[in-house]
Order: sequence, then C-alpha cells, then structure tokens
Amino acid sequence: MSDVTVHGAARAAGETAGENTAPKPVPFHRLLLVEARKMADTRSAMVMLGLLAAMTVVSIAARGVDAGPQLGRLTTTAGIGYGTLLPAIAILAVTGDWTHRSALTTFTLEPRRGRVLVARCLPPLLATVAASLFALAVAAPVTAVTAALQGVPAEWDLDATRMLGWTATNVLLIAMALAFAMLLLHPAAAIATYFVVGTLWNLVGNVSELGREIARWVDLGTAVGPLAAAELTWMDAARLATAVLCSVALPMAIGAVRALRAEVR
Amino acid sequence: MVKDYKGVRALDEVSFTVEPGSVTGFLGPNGAGKTTALRILVGLSRPTSGTATIFGRPYRELEAPGWHVGTLLDANAQHPGRTGREILTLGAMMLGLPRSRVDEVLELVGLTDREARRTFRGYSLGMRQRLGIAHALLARPRVLVLDEPANGLDPQGIHWLRGLLRQLADTGCAVLLSSHLLAEVERIADRVVVIGGGRVLAEGTLDELGRGRDLEQVFLELTAKADRRAA
Repeated sequence: MSDVTVHGAARAAGETAGENTAPKPVPFHRLLLVEARKMADTRSAMVMLGLLAAMTVVSIAARGVDAGPQLGRLTTTAGIGYGTLLPAIAILAVTGDWTHRSALTTFTLEPRRGRVLVARCLPPLLATVAASLFALAVAAPVTAVTAALQGVPAEWDLDATRMLGWTATNVLLIAMALAFAMLLLHPAAAIATYFVVGTLWNLVGNVSELGREIARWVDLGTAVGPLAAAELTWMDAARLATAVLCSVALPMAIGAVRALRAEVR
Repeated sequence: MVKDYKGVRALDEVSFTVEPGSVTGFLGPNGAGKTTALRILVGLSRPTSGTATIFGRPYRELEAPGWHVGTLLDANAQHPGRTGREILTLGAMMLGLPRSRVDEVLELVGLTDREARRTFRGYSLGMRQRLGIAHALLARPRVLVLDEPANGLDPQGIHWLRGLLRQLADTGCAVLLSSHLLAEVERIADRVVVIGGGRVLAEGTLDELGRGRDLEQVFLELTAKADRRAA
C-alpha cells in the first residue's frame, strides 16, 4: 500500500459559529461573481474596458456625422470595437488564471474544475449582450444630437430582428474567442489565431468556389453573415449550426477535456 | 502513492501520515518529488496508483475542501496586476467569508494596509509568502499544506512563521510543510519525512532520526545512500 494520509482534528465545537457559516460546497453563483470580478480587478483590465467604451462612443459619433441620424445603423457601428477589443478581453478572462498560475489557488478552492470553466466563460458572453445594449444606449442620444445639428429628421425605426441578429452575432463571435482561448490557454496565441483564422478563411473563399462553400459551413465568421443581416434561411441556419460546431464547440470541448484532466502546475 | 511521468517514476510508493497537533516537515533535495506529492494531496494531480487522503477522503471528494484545508503551493503564482487585498478578497468571496476576514488575516501575517493596497507585481518574495499564508488561513482550516513557505522570508519572518505554525498545531491543526532548508525545518517541525529519488528515506520525530546528530548530517547521509542505490 502506498498512501499519504493527513489526519485532521474535527473542527472544535463552536468554532464555526460567529461570522462563519457552516462549510458548504462553493455555490455556482459565487464562482460566477468571482470570475466576473476578475475581468475588472486590475488596472490593465480597467484600461481595456475603458478603451472599449470610448471606442464605442467615438465610432458611433463619427458614424453619426458621416451617415446621418439613423439609430439602427449607428448602433451596429459599435461592432468595430466589439470585433477587436472585446475578443481580446474575453480571451484574457479565460487564459489569465493559467498564464499567471493562479489556477493553483482557484482549483484548490474549487476542485470541480468544470464548474469553474463554465463560470469563467459566462461573464464575457453576458458582457457582450450588455455591450450590445450599451451601443443602443449610446446611439440613441447621438441620433438625436446629430439630427438637431444637421437639421434633418432622425430615423428612429429599429428593426428588432436585425438588432437580435446583430447581438447574437456578437455573442457567437465572442464564444469563438473563448473557445480558442480554452484550446490554446495562451493569450497572444489565442488572439492571433482568432484574427488570422478569419483572414485565412477569406483567402480560401477567394481562391476557389469549393473553398467558399466550405467556409460557409465551417467558418463562423462567414456563416454569421446572414444572421447579422437578419436574413437567415433554413440553409443558412444549417450552415451556422455546423460552423458553431466546428469553430466553437469542437475547440472548446478539446480545451475543456484537457483542463479537466491536466495536472495544474 | 506512485506517480509516473511518461515512464519515469517520480514518486515510488511514497507513504506517510500527518497527525493533528503536529508540524510535519517534508524534506528532500530539489527534484525529489515534494511538490508532486503535495499537488496530488490537494487534488491538482492524480496519482498513478495509491491514494492521498485528508480526513480519510481524497481532497476532491471533500464537501468543501477550501474550508478544511489551507494550501500554499507557490507564493509567486498570482496575477501581478492584482493588489494583495484583491487576491485575498477573491479567496474570501469563493469561500463565502465576510470581507472583515481579509483584514484579520492581513493583520495575522503582518501585512500593512498600505502593502495590501499595492499590486502583487511589486511584492518581495517574503511578502508573497506572507500573502499566500494569509490566503491559506482565510477559512481557519484544520489542515495546512505549505510548499516552501519559508523561502524568501527574512530571519524575523522565519521566527514569526515558526511561532504561527506552533500556535496552529497547538490548537489541533495538522501542518505539512515542505522545505529544502534544513535549519528551518529543524526549528519549525516536530516530525520530518525525508524523501529522495521519489522514495521515503526516513520518517519520524527529530529525536528519533537525529539521535544527537543535527538534521543536516542525517539528511546528507540519507540522500547520499539513496544516490548510491540509484547509481
């Protein structure tokens, strides 16, 4: 037999009383709160979030000057920041614990690693939904101000399906960033891959008709096109589903299995 | 327990027991397998065979392991941009402890409010060790697992650590700490487990092992013997 045993004395009576509650497994909502907090508890994280907010406001205002007061169009302009900075923020949220090795602490406090991984991926996705609403909240006053300044009537009509499609597109692309982060566990590698993959698929699509057809079924960046435009046919939906499977579910599953099995160092 | 890495046996039938009310020193030269054994003990790595249990159960099967076992495996393993206080706050949140507990453990390890507000990046190794020990003590655990906690501590720090661990052991804690610094272990621990080349070379109280000789002599003899066996 080869065993390592640590005998501990049972907690003395009354010792858990006072401010401490009885020991229970870490509930999921607490993991979620902790992981969300980790996205904004360093100076560099705050700078990134601030930059994202600033980029959103500036790009929407600039588009307002350029294209006139159209609420829907101004809102989706925020996609410039959400396609660049937001994936980086999401990737850092996943890789941080591994690159700084604080995973040692996280996984001793919560050995059920799967729960930690889910709790870690949810805040960036929820933040993306919030960011999409934020874009609308910024675009509304910009539309009003632009209309007043340019002396033209504002276009307030907002296509709900279009907005939903745009938000869903943002969320899916962030899910892909998270999947690459889970797969590679390295911030620079994941960010580079995220952007290079899009360019590569473009190239493949331009080379041949077959390449373009494959990209429609496999590359999420291509497959979300009809969703973003809210012109999703059943065929497009099928393409989108396989692309999510290939570009999100597969890398995420491989990354999750590895994280669950790996020795944490 | 036994642990193999790609055909290389890192731990070979390592067996020992840590009792409540004692400080057990886990000794061995670099690469002996100390950290590997501790990682297996707290569920971060799986043994190839054998078991590691705390309160009779594997770490991962404990109801709320963070409550019962305080762990410090690497004082440097924290996000450099977080403040010391933030690192402890995250731990307290995970464990469902009130924020006031963060102030208590900061005081316990002698980190000032000002130091706690600085980012981890600027911490000396000694401060990192104190922060890590504070983190391990958050939930008032009955078992402490500390990997090289004395590393980087100044003489006052080592004196403080000895007092702290003694006090915890006296209240019934089981403390397991690894080190390659013999003089410190000799002053802190009641019992030692010496490993080398992945095997337990000796286990017992300092008196049993030393019989009048100092620990360094005993340690060098044991590890030399193990090296000869391996050669």
